[in-house]
Amino acid sequence: MADIEIEIDGKMVGAKAGEMLITVTDREGVSVPRFCYHKKLSVAASCRMCLVDVEGAPKPQPACSTPVNEGMKVYTQNGKAKASQKAVMEFLLINHPLDCPICDQGGECELQDVAVEYGSDVSRFSEGKRIVPDSDIGALIQTDMTRCIHCTRCVRFGLEIAGMMEMGGTGRGEHLKIEPFLKDGIQSELSGNMIDVCPVGALTSKPFRYELRSWQMHSMPSVARHDLVGSNLFVQTYKGKVKRVVSADNDWVNETWISDRDRFSYEGLTHENRLLEPQIKVQGQWKQVSWKVALNYAIKGLNSHVLKHQKANQLGGLASSTATMEELYLLKKILTEVGCDNIDHRLNVKNLNNTIAFDSNIKLDALEKIDYALIVGANIRLEQPMINHRLRKATKKGADVDALNVMTFDFNYPLNTQNITAPNKIASTLAGVLKSIMTSNVQELPDYLANVEVDEVANNIASKLLNSNSSVIILGEHIVNNEDASTIASLITQIAHNANSKTLNLSITANTIAANLVGFVPQNSGMDVNTMLAFDMRGFILLDIYPQYDFHDLDAAVKAFTPEDTFVISLNSFKDDIVAGYSDVILPIASIYETSGTQLNINNDMQSYMAAVKAPDEVKPAWKVLKVMADLLELPGFHYADSTQVVAEISHQSYVKHIHDECINLTSKHNGVSTIWQSSPYSIDVVLRHSSALQKTKIGQINSACMNPASAETLGLSANDKYLGVPVVITSTVADDCVFINANHATHIQEQV
Amino acid sequence: MISIDAKKQIDAWIAKYPKDRKSSAVMQALKIVQAENENNLSADTIQAVADYLDMPGIAAQEVATFYENYNHKKVGKHVIRFCHNISCMLNGADDLIAHLENKLGVQTGKVTPNGFISVKKVECLGACVGAPMFQINDDYFENLTADKIDQIVDNLK
Amino acid sequence: MNEACFKNLTKDQCYSLKTYEASGGYSVWRKILKGELTPEHIIDELKASGLRGRGGAGFPTGLKWSFMPRHSDGQKYVVCNSDEGEPGTCKDRDILRFNPHAVIEGMAIGGFVMNASVGYNYIRGEFMEPFYRFEDALKEAYEAELLGQNINKSSVNFDLYTHLGAGSYICGEETALLESIEGKKGHPRFKPPFPANVGLFGKPTTINNTESFASVPEILSRGGQWFADIGVENSGGCKLFSVSGHVKSPANFEVPMGTPFKDLLKMAGGMRDGAKLKAVIPGGSSTPVLTAEVAMTMTMDYDGIEKAGSMLGAGSVIIMDESTCMVKVLTRLAHFYYDESCGQCTPCREGTGWLYRILKRMIDGNGKQCDIDLLLGVQGKIMGNTICALGDAAATPVESFLRNFRPEFEYYIEYGKSMVKG
Ligand SMILES: Cc1cc2nc3c(=O)[nH]c(=O)nc-3n(C[C@H](O)[C@H](O)[C@H](O)COP(=O)(O)O)c2cc1C
Ligand code: SF4
Ligand code: FES
Repeated sequence: MADIEIEIDGKMVGAKAGEMLITVTDREGVSVPRFCYHKKLSVAASCRMCLVDVEGAPKPQPACSTPVNEGMKVYTQNGKAKASQKAVMEFLLINHPLDCPICDQGGECELQDVAVEYGSDVSRFSEGKRIVPDSDIGALIQTDMTRCIHCTRCVRFGLEIAGMMEMGGTGRGEHLKIEPFLKDGIQSELSGNMIDVCPVGALTSKPFRYELRSWQMHSMPSVARHDLVGSNLFVQTYKGKVKRVVSADNDWVNETWISDRDRFSYEGLTHENRLLEPQIKVQGQWKQVSWKVALNYAIKGLNSHVLKHQKANQLGGLASSTATMEELYLLKKILTEVGCDNIDHRLNVKNLNNTIAFDSNIKLDALEKIDYALIVGANIRLEQPMINHRLRKATKKGADVDALNVMTFDFNYPLNTQNITAPNKIASTLAGVLKSIMTSNVQELPDYLANVEVDEVANNIASKLLNSNSSVIILGEHIVNNEDASTIASLITQIAHNANSKTLNLSITANTIAANLVGFVPQNSGMDVNTMLAFDMRGFILLDIYPQYDFHDLDAAVKAFTPEDTFVISLNSFKDDIVAGYSDVILPIASIYETSGTQLNINNDMQSYMAAVKAPDEVKPAWKVLKVMADLLELPGFHYADSTQVVAEISHQSYVKHIHDECINLTSKHNGVSTIWQSSPYSIDVVLRHSSALQKTKIGQINSACMNPASAETLGLSANDKYLGVPVVITSTVADDCVFINANHATHIQEQV
Repeated sequence: MISIDAKKQIDAWIAKYPKDRKSSAVMQALKIVQAENENNLSADTIQAVADYLDMPGIAAQEVATFYENYNHKKVGKHVIRFCHNISCMLNGADDLIAHLENKLGVQTGKVTPNGFISVKKVECLGACVGAPMFQINDDYFENLTADKIDQIVDNLK
Repeated sequence: MNEACFKNLTKDQCYSLKTYEASGGYSVWRKILKGELTPEHIIDELKASGLRGRGGAGFPTGLKWSFMPRHSDGQKYVVCNSDEGEPGTCKDRDILRFNPHAVIEGMAIGGFVMNASVGYNYIRGEFMEPFYRFEDALKEAYEAELLGQNINKSSVNFDLYTHLGAGSYICGEETALLESIEGKKGHPRFKPPFPANVGLFGKPTTINNTESFASVPEILSRGGQWFADIGVENSGGCKLFSVSGHVKSPANFEVPMGTPFKDLLKMAGGMRDGAKLKAVIPGGSSTPVLTAEVAMTMTMDYDGIEKAGSMLGAGSVIIMDESTCMVKVLTRLAHFYYDESCGQCTPCREGTGWLYRILKRMIDGNGKQCDIDLLLGVQGKIMGNTICALGDAAATPVESFLRNFRPEFEYYIEYGKSMVKG
């Protein structure tokens, strides 16, 4: 690595020619003060705090922007360096309010830290200090711009990382003011990182405002649970409550950034809808009871309705894929032990004979090195912000990205083409791509491609794939309920195989990969979820399920759970009327950060975390609840002292894949207008739905059924109508024969109209 | 928001720069749009310029607030920009500015009540050998005296 | 006098293509188009001429041109700096008004030497008359097939455009100027990388002052040695000096380098109303002020002025007579830098305002004796610590005014009024 030597404060150290001095001093543990420099942002060299003395240079040099060269001699502590650093510090402080006692940044303020070391005691500045009016930039970030030291980290963050320039520096000289232009506030899905990059208290967390001083809090490393990345973060707690979440560095996973969703979701934990006590339904009346009573009631019900009559084949276990790996495993183990094979987590898939059997085989850090990506059916930026960020980095290095989507979405990088394609045309376009590739490769064509027409879009994509050195094909959430889902998945597998591409499956959410790993799917000849819902069941164990959000068909679910002789045990973290309507026992379980657990991300990193806080009141971690239930059922093999023993036990079972040519059926099953449905990004799970600041953002408010004028006419709808309960938006950015629903509330998806 | 004629003028500037560098024209685009809008820029016009040049609104706002030639509050039909820097000062600019203020009955930085003239003190305009001097709209007037100022101002239409 | 940039000054329609060509204009460029000159030869001639950049820093032009990676692939640019905004400076305006074709030819030659097919002339936003003059000249040059693509089938390409500023002194700083052409705020870039490697639109770029470019055609047509011989050691040729302030006939004079200051003063008609000379700023507001005694013995060339304790800068000579209040002048200059600081880097953003406010307080009669040391302290903390030279430019006058005229400041603080105006 090191190819030259330089001298820093009299010590010889190795370095790479041309790298910036500050990288060397940081690596060597030599402390050089800085404000504008941030390792993940471009160099601004404007704060001048990092000035050091370089032998031979007449002026002090900024360490952040001085490339090193062989034999260079640097003094970071001598008179010249110190004088410059002190001078800059004095300038920074003359207009700074020094309101540390009421500043949320107090105790973690880079300015405060450096001032202690470099500031002089008496301010010789006797003029009035500058006061900068604040602008309201939205629900997430609090501004106190008088404290701003104009380091422009937030501006550069917007430009370089968020991909949208929202903050800027207006005015000049002393009147330079960091502010947004749009009065609607900051809208990036990554905006909260500005809080982390701001070295002072100018940008702080709005929900956290005036809550606490940073040193009062306890910081626990943890893992975010809202997407496929599992960003690393610190959960900061005080007296057993989560007060704030900040990002943790992990270059392999989330670098140094986290999405707003991961940062602010903790707010939901203290929502008044939290379920705090076990309860049982006696003669139609809910009663709050002790855990002992509730669990006994549950076991008794299970025995009397199911087990006593050897009706394990009429028992079902369903779980939300946001559950931890341990929870999913233990529930499955209980069911298996009692002889039940009816297990599933794929609650929202309309047709389970038409599933996406599709693996990801690219790691996050490799994504930023690809030179071509094809996105099929994803609004990737909002669904998987951190994955999109990696793609954005690739595009900045010159990668091309094409999309095959049902409507135009906002990307924060230029797309090569956004091919707006009707849901029923996606399979045929991909078949065209495959045919084009196989033809170029002079391969023998399978029968199903014989009559496929290759259009220009398909040809272009094919040639991009063939001409790229490292490409990836991304399959997104909008394919899940596409009538051609399995055909599309199989085609992509074939394309990837023939074009030597990687694949990335974003049709799944949160901990789905763990659910598949532990085999939380029908076992042997057990029923899948849709079959269970249509069958005459005697009992269910439901893990953190909210039917109006989780099932594609709410009515079918409620109908299946409600009968008098169907005994339903619900483990939930939040209260819910529908759940209360059909359940017989409701057990309050811990939510995010309240339990230990494991998240399996798209890299296949098994990321385990400890509980950061104790769950409130009577609430217990679900893995413990499940363990006790197993004990009460007198099942063998549940002697776990803690959740890590569960992880140790989990054998690496792999998901059964169905990738056969036979899956490819190019006679589209679509007819009429198809509905592609997606939860809006801040309502994909129950904690998010209760996080008030997120709900107030623009993204949190997304709630629309978009269709083009022709589809609207077919459906007889106009702009102010509702479609499946969602306000209709007519826009020509949607493909033909398609309604794209992005909804923030319960949506009952009926069969196509 | 931006007239067809203004767009034509802006396009002529865009043509001077590389194809993917439309935003290079922002400085002139703002001036052109300002000229069409009573010598003034509003948030909406700035956004319109930004949209026309495919750049973020805040980037256009940065430019609009950085350079001195853009106005963000009401100015006169004629803007008198009086140099008060060193060479002009040595040649009596301060007294002449006072004279002009008296004559118009407005302070520098303000607009005459009829909205006809506004006066602004500015830094060196690069005509020091002609000091004292001022600029009215596009034109320079040098070697000013009180009489000469009266004459120039009285002739403004 | 008036040998290079001002050669045609007294001629009728001195700015027209006709006048320019009649006196030998575009002969160098035509030779280039005919393939009779090589870049190497031109660079050698420029080096021999001793031409140093006229924008203020005085960097040898030939050397600068030789730094461009002319053989590298891709677009390269030449940029002319006509942002003229340093108080006291007004020579480029006259070059643009009276000899625009010399700038065009000089830039075209630069384009050829540095293998840059596109040039921009950045004209400050207030210079509308010079802008129209220059645009007219460009039109003439294009019509005469002196510019464009494959000019006269020579396979030489050179397109030249003007970019208009919008009011900002800092855009005269070469990298701020590049940012400005890119449609951004004029925030100077830190160096390295230097514009010769990463300049306009990220491409190799050479930036020269208007006068530097305008001098090139005459140097090449009459030979580097001719130019060098006009001047003195280390300061080749003739140079425009803008003489303003308390003189009878303020004007721009193109005179040989090394001309004694007192001769230049005489050319400007001497002191107005027979007043006594008190102080001279020889190179524009950012160069140190000199006392009359020192000034009267100095010669107008890089070394001569440096020996006197100042800098030639852009050749902007500001003459002050004994009635001048130095506290007031310094306050005005401090206000200028305060107003024009781009705000990007801390010492300049915060320091220029601090300097101005201390001086303003003094002028308002609220000064304290310790303010003088405070001023010196603050300027010392700006000096050398900023991204670009504006910080130094703001600090320099403070230091030199206090060094040369300290009693006047002490008096002002003590009595709350100026020493000179009784
Ligand atoms: C604050 C500041 C203002 C400047 N203004 C000008 C200017 O108006 N015109 C100019 O030619 N150079 C100006 N310069 C100098 C330029 O940065 C640059 O050195 C010059 O244009 C190079 O041209 P030359 O080598 O021909 O002198 C300025 C420099 C600074 C630091
Ligand atoms: S708000 Fe914070 S991050 Fe942004 S420029 Fe100011 S100090 Fe830097
Ligand atoms: S950290 Fe180097 S100048 Fe700011």
